[in-house]
Amino acid sequence: MMKILLALDPSTQTMDEAIKIATDKQASLTALFVLDTTWNDYTAHDWLSGSGSRADFLEYARDHEFVSETECAATFRKRCPFQCEVKSATGRVSDEITRELIEGEYDLLVMSHPFRRGLEVVRDTAGKILKDITCSVYLVQTNPPALFSRNGSASLP
Amino acid sequence: MEEKQGMAKVLAIIPGLAFMILTLFVLRTYVEPWMENVVVMGQKGWLVKVLSLNYILLSILTGMFYRNVIFGGKIPDWAAEGFRTTRLFIKSGVIMLGSLYTIQGLLKVGGIAITLIFSFVFGTILFVIWFGGRNKMDRSLIGVMAASCGVCGVSAAVATTPAVRAKPADVALAIATILGFGIFTMFISPAIGHLLHLSDYQFGAWVGTGILNSGQVLATCLAYNPDIAPGTAVAYGEIWNVVRVISIPFVVFFITLWYWRSEAQAEHISLVKIIKEKFPLFIFGFLGMTALSSFGMLGAEGSETIHLMRQVMSWIFGLGLVGQGAYIDIRELKAAGGAPLKVGLAAGAIKYVLALVVVLLFVAKEANF
Amino acid sequence: MSEPKKNTKMTVFKTDRHEDMAAIFFVTVVVASILIYMAFIIPSVTIKAPTSGKVVAVAVQKGSEVKKGDLLYSLQLKGKPEPKKYKAVTSGKILSVTAKPDDAVKKGKDVILVLQHEKGTLP
Repeated sequence: MMKILLALDPSTQTMDEAIKIATDKQASLTALFVLDTTWNDYTAHDWLSGSGSRADFLEYARDHEFVSETECAATFRKRCPFQCEVKSATGRVSDEITRELIEGEYDLLVMSHPFRRGLEVVRDTAGKILKDITCSVYLVQTNPPALFSRNGSASLP
Repeated sequence: MEEKQGMAKVLAIIPGLAFMILTLFVLRTYVEPWMENVVVMGQKGWLVKVLSLNYILLSILTGMFYRNVIFGGKIPDWAAEGFRTTRLFIKSGVIMLGSLYTIQGLLKVGGIAITLIFSFVFGTILFVIWFGGRNKMDRSLIGVMAASCGVCGVSAAVATTPAVRAKPADVALAIATILGFGIFTMFISPAIGHLLHLSDYQFGAWVGTGILNSGQVLATCLAYNPDIAPGTAVAYGEIWNVVRVISIPFVVFFITLWYWRSEAQAEHISLVKIIKEKFPLFIFGFLGMTALSSFGMLGAEGSETIHLMRQVMSWIFGLGLVGQGAYIDIRELKAAGGAPLKVGLAAGAIKYVLALVVVLLFVAKEANF
Repeated sequence: MSEPKKNTKMTVFKTDRHEDMAAIFFVTVVVASILIYMAFIIPSVTIKAPTSGKVVAVAVQKGSEVKKGDLLYSLQLKGKPEPKKYKAVTSGKILSVTAKPDDAVKKGKDVILVLQHEKGTLP
């Protein structure tokens, strides 16, 4: 049976595409959500932060990661008409997706491009993953979500 | 990766740290002397004299080269722990810089620094609040941008984010903008300073006020004049920097008040609590060193003891700056965009130019301390 | 769901508060070592030219005793009308004098004299 991995980010368009392919091909679908832990390195050059200021920030960012995880997983489960697994990993997003792809011997990766997960908003996730894997990849070109709208959560187009 | 404990944690630092030390050693003993003698553009030492490519900028550039070219965008696991010590070294260097001042001198120049900085800090904050509003930027993000453009760049952004409930993804873009602008000005400021024949005092006052991200003020001053002594660019620039750092908690307080002004939560905002949470303790170390030097306990000016101490200081800074460079990922900076980029560039550029004009018009060539 | 532990880990230190304290401690150790080394461990210091310039006069000879505040030598600096005088910052004995009047000296490179300082003072 064909194995598909969906890299979760807030895009529902990508979720739907993955579900559609899995239905068409009668493949098994696994969704992977990676909690980004690179915030620490991203702000590491800043040496002026005082006392608990950076720790507060990292905690705040981590809480956002948790909320985002719950939201994405719930949205995906709601949309998926059949039984599917939602996995969760922590680390650098591109590394974790690559690791899961190799360990789980998947045949196809479905992900948004640009990928909007944690700090990947400033990185080229797909470009990084493509370098290290051998399976097929389906990139869903998504419109960048309304990051700067007054009230929109950074998500769900 | 599992969290390491005890001795293993300390051992994990060694490879990365050794790598940074080796890099700095090669730069200072071989590369810098070579660059001082090499003839470029028909002038001996052009690279050092005009581009200010002394060991300070070389350390940062080499760190950036490691991260972006050799490591391919991510500090490898074997070096990660060692490179994390970079902030410890920079902070230590800054604490030691306290020895360049005496309490009397600090009081004299502090007045000008405080006036200049506070007018620029609050001027920028008001500008960003107005300009961000015009650009229909999210209020949380306006708060973060106002703090970071106003005071210390990234550290101010980090301090304000939780207070104004900004979205981390937006903050990431704001950080990219601020850091990118800071690094850009770090490389061009020394050349502009030389071109305009600014004195060390004027240069320190200018970059101390005008550079968006305070993290780069120190490196810029050292690039302009690598000497560490009273009356050099770094001695003046660092006073400006210290005043800015001290003002972070107050700016966070002000912006938090502005953000929550119409909500019940505004009543729970306490300045004392913010100071406790955000005030950088290393400033006390800095002031402690100033006290020691005021009482002449660190050796007389011009003595070999002071000379040795400043040699050590310059190595500590160099070490820290290699690591700082390695935390700069150019690909991540290029992702800067959207409203934060627009507002950040506008605020940053205005502040940078206006500070230069003010310094040229109102700040004398020589300081009186 | 595993807890992302690494996220709050900053350096080897837990927070910036710890890091700041560590930096203060580190500086205390470094500064104390320098002071002890200079005051008690090394017997003499080699004084090199503090800035580039031309030696105008050397006021001491080999073997002479100097007191804190005594004139050691003076340098003519570029662009300055008056030569700059350099005084002894501590008492001691001159072990050797290398620089001669009219010598051009380079900052941090050329040796001017060697001074044996009194133990416990900061040369």
